[in-house]
Amino acid sequence: MQSRYTAIFLLFFSALLQPLSAQEDRKVSFTGLARGLYFGDRLSQEGATPDTVTPPRLNSGHVMVDLGVNIRPNKNTEILGMVRVRNDYGGFWGSGVTFDVRQLFVKGVIGGIVKYQLGDFNYRMSRYTLWNYNQEVIGRMPAVFQQQTDVINYEHFYENDNSWRQQGASLSFALVFKKFLKELQVNAVTTRVRPSDFNQVNDRLFSGLNLQLVQSKYLNLGFNYANLYDVAETAKNNVGLRNPVLTGTVNALYGNSHFTLSLEGEFGRSRTFYVNSTEAPDWNGRFSDFNLKLAQPKWGVYLSGNALQIGSAFRSPGAQTKRIDFGQQALAFSRITNNQELRPYTMLDLMRESSFYVMQLRPFLMEFAPQYDNITPFGDATPNRQGAIIRLGYEKKGQPVKAEFAHYALQEMRGEGTLKPRMFSRNQLMVEARLNEYFKNWKKRFHLSVHYRSDKTTREADDLVRGVDLQTEALSAGLELEVLPSLDVLFGIQTLQYKGFDFTAVRNNFSEIFNFNEFEVDGNEQMLGYGLRYRFSDKTFLSAQMNRFQNANALGTLPDYSLNQFMMLFQLKF
Amino acid sequence: MKRSFQWLCLALLPVFAGCETDDEFDGPSLNDLYGAFAVLSPFQTSADTVDFSSGSAVHFTAEFSKNVSWILEVKGLESGAVKQITGFSKQLDATNSSWNGTTTRLPFFKSEACAVMLRFEAESDTLFDTLFVSGTRNYQGLLLSDFEGVANPGWTSFVQSGADMSFGIQTSGTAAQGNGYFDIGGAVSWDYLIAYLFMPATAYGAPTFNLSSNPELVYFNTMLYKPENLNNGIMLFQFQEDDNQDGVFTPASEDMYAVEVQMNTNNWSQLSVKYSDLQTLVNGQPATPNGNGVREPHKLNQVNILFLANPATGYANARLDYMIFTEGAALEP
Repeated sequence: MQSRYTAIFLLFFSALLQPLSAQEDRKVSFTGLARGLYFGDRLSQEGATPDTVTPPRLNSGHVMVDLGVNIRPNKNTEILGMVRVRNDYGGFWGSGVTFDVRQLFVKGVIGGIVKYQLGDFNYRMSRYTLWNYNQEVIGRMPAVFQQQTDVINYEHFYENDNSWRQQGASLSFALVFKKFLKELQVNAVTTRVRPSDFNQVNDRLFSGLNLQLVQSKYLNLGFNYANLYDVAETAKNNVGLRNPVLTGTVNALYGNSHFTLSLEGEFGRSRTFYVNSTEAPDWNGRFSDFNLKLAQPKWGVYLSGNALQIGSAFRSPGAQTKRIDFGQQALAFSRITNNQELRPYTMLDLMRESSFYVMQLRPFLMEFAPQYDNITPFGDATPNRQGAIIRLGYEKKGQPVKAEFAHYALQEMRGEGTLKPRMFSRNQLMVEARLNEYFKNWKKRFHLSVHYRSDKTTREADDLVRGVDLQTEALSAGLELEVLPSLDVLFGIQTLQYKGFDFTAVRNNFSEIFNFNEFEVDGNEQMLGYGLRYRFSDKTFLSAQMNRFQNANALGTLPDYSLNQFMMLFQLKF
Repeated sequence: MKRSFQWLCLALLPVFAGCETDDEFDGPSLNDLYGAFAVLSPFQTSADTVDFSSGSAVHFTAEFSKNVSWILEVKGLESGAVKQITGFSKQLDATNSSWNGTTTRLPFFKSEACAVMLRFEAESDTLFDTLFVSGTRNYQGLLLSDFEGVANPGWTSFVQSGADMSFGIQTSGTAAQGNGYFDIGGAVSWDYLIAYLFMPATAYGAPTFNLSSNPELVYFNTMLYKPENLNNGIMLFQFQEDDNQDGVFTPASEDMYAVEVQMNTNNWSQLSVKYSDLQTLVNGQPATPNGNGVREPHKLNQVNILFLANPATGYANARLDYMIFTEGAALEP
């Protein structure tokens, strides 16, 4: 093949470079974030007997600064070291102060061709190989609540691009062709997910390879290989995990001035096994997910359909690791009532407590909360699903409104505990509008967002076994109104109702189901928040808000309760 | 390009076409875990009478609404013998409930009427039936004695002149097999030895016992009984080999292997020991054999049974029954 190879730069970590773009001529610059956060909580219980044991008020918060030093010793090399100084409220005279290294990396370009990065970096591949899906329910909230979720996301390096924070090395380069093909992009990564303890725990690495063949703007083919594996002889344990995932992707586009038709798809297989283990299963799983989208650019209307089949044995730790570890316990008011019963987590806890969140890939299917999401608890890569998703939406460039309605009609590929599969149905509506743009001369912010989701899981009853019927409804609405220059009034409401019955699978360390628990819920959670936010700049704001959270559960022994939260947040990015 | 896209769309059609589910499911059966229990077909024996002496077997049948952990017990109404079969299944049939006359809890079954009971670990139901055993199992092997009738005149013995001494075949009480057993007991305040019984091969008509030469194949089996309130008895079995085949066991230059049993299991229990596992014992401790050091069952010329007890512990008692050498496997009573 007669082709001329030319190096191009890929946007491997361009996001991190952006803040520095104005300072490119400097060899040393500073970057980081400063934050002050305060919570004042008051708990009210509605039990028949007053709770005289649990202190009803709780204050907490911290002030911290992440200070990064960015060094550019030459035009091809960049070094970032960031330290964190944090002081929890109440830690006077340095007693509560902690110093940590938050991140450290070196990156650059070799020979003007190969980009590399060593150290800490965010990385993602495809939706079925390495993808950090948003957390349930609170992944998309009104702005008044989103501020707290953003703090959590920043703490755990959860970026909007759904990348996972990793520590290791990556490189990328591209080959540009003269004829037939436009370019071939090559991306490779290896990171250490778990260090050895030099005894029974081996080093665990994640390696990935992505080849992206760009034929034209009409056709793009991809190949992904991802593997989570233990490195032999790094400990005394000779049992080692291997979980390779192999996928192919296709992106095709056809259109003219009247319509565009696009096809996006990913398909592949996985294998999960442990070397030198006679107890562990050897699973081979397959999946395919294709999306066909018809859009009318002039009207801004689109209609799309997904057809997917995710096998029950498909395992991809990079895509199936959840952000939330539902095995954790809420720290605020962890026990209530005179009997000091454990208080189950709620969406308020998930919105603000860092202890629920994970940063490392897990080799097994994590626990999930069926009352929050029983249909896609592991995102698109949720195993044991098949069916179709239809979306009808409106989104037009320059228009202040976008809306989408989605309907999921899914079912299990393989029954759990019975041959009958669960049936899943989801209706989802999203409307987001910048209302001020409808009015001439109204330059101030006036944003409205409404999200609604209705989930239903069913399974027919056997003659002898109870049927499954679990329903979840989530509604959130938010308003941002700029009343004075840079001063916004924020309002938001989020409600969550769940009721019904299901069997939840109990899995062993190899994710094999060995038992089922009966799971019955009948409750609702509601958050109402309002507050003020003053934006000093795009990167700096001060916010004060009141939230009232109410929890009611018709089952169990805990009384209904409410939690009033006052929050003050100052945040500055630099 | 346009054509390629059309082909791709066509290729996708089957994907949209429909959903099929696997014909197996993940995890344990929900029906087994949470389904209601019911007996769909009655509990029955495959025959009312069974003769195990002819090699026959009997099995049981039943069908349930779900897989359950079940326990099947056959109890001899005369002997008190118990056969227990357990399983986890939805049905009982010849593959999982076949019984060839063996015993789980001694004594041996007799020709007798038996009560059959089927119960379940997690269910309150209990099902019953009856069965008559018209003939008991025949056991293959070299039988030293079942202690029925009179003692072999070729045996030799010694009994201390202690207090409350008993030594000989008894038929009163419950035997492990049949009606007779050998009873040894007494209180000897000056010596560990209470009594011994020697069984020379000559009592069976040959200079050595007719056993395989492979010690891995030969098993010595006997049934032992200990009264509940006595824990001081020690039963010592010695196996004398005539290494040089001169018809005489010479202790100083020929092998004698042994197995010692602390009598601490109440009621009847089974002792089965592979010949290759026998040790030379001196005062109960392993020692170097005096002969060629090779375990040679075919050169065994005498079995000694010594009943011992610490003289300070007073009265001791034990019973023996059904002493037999088997080949290939331990005795399955």
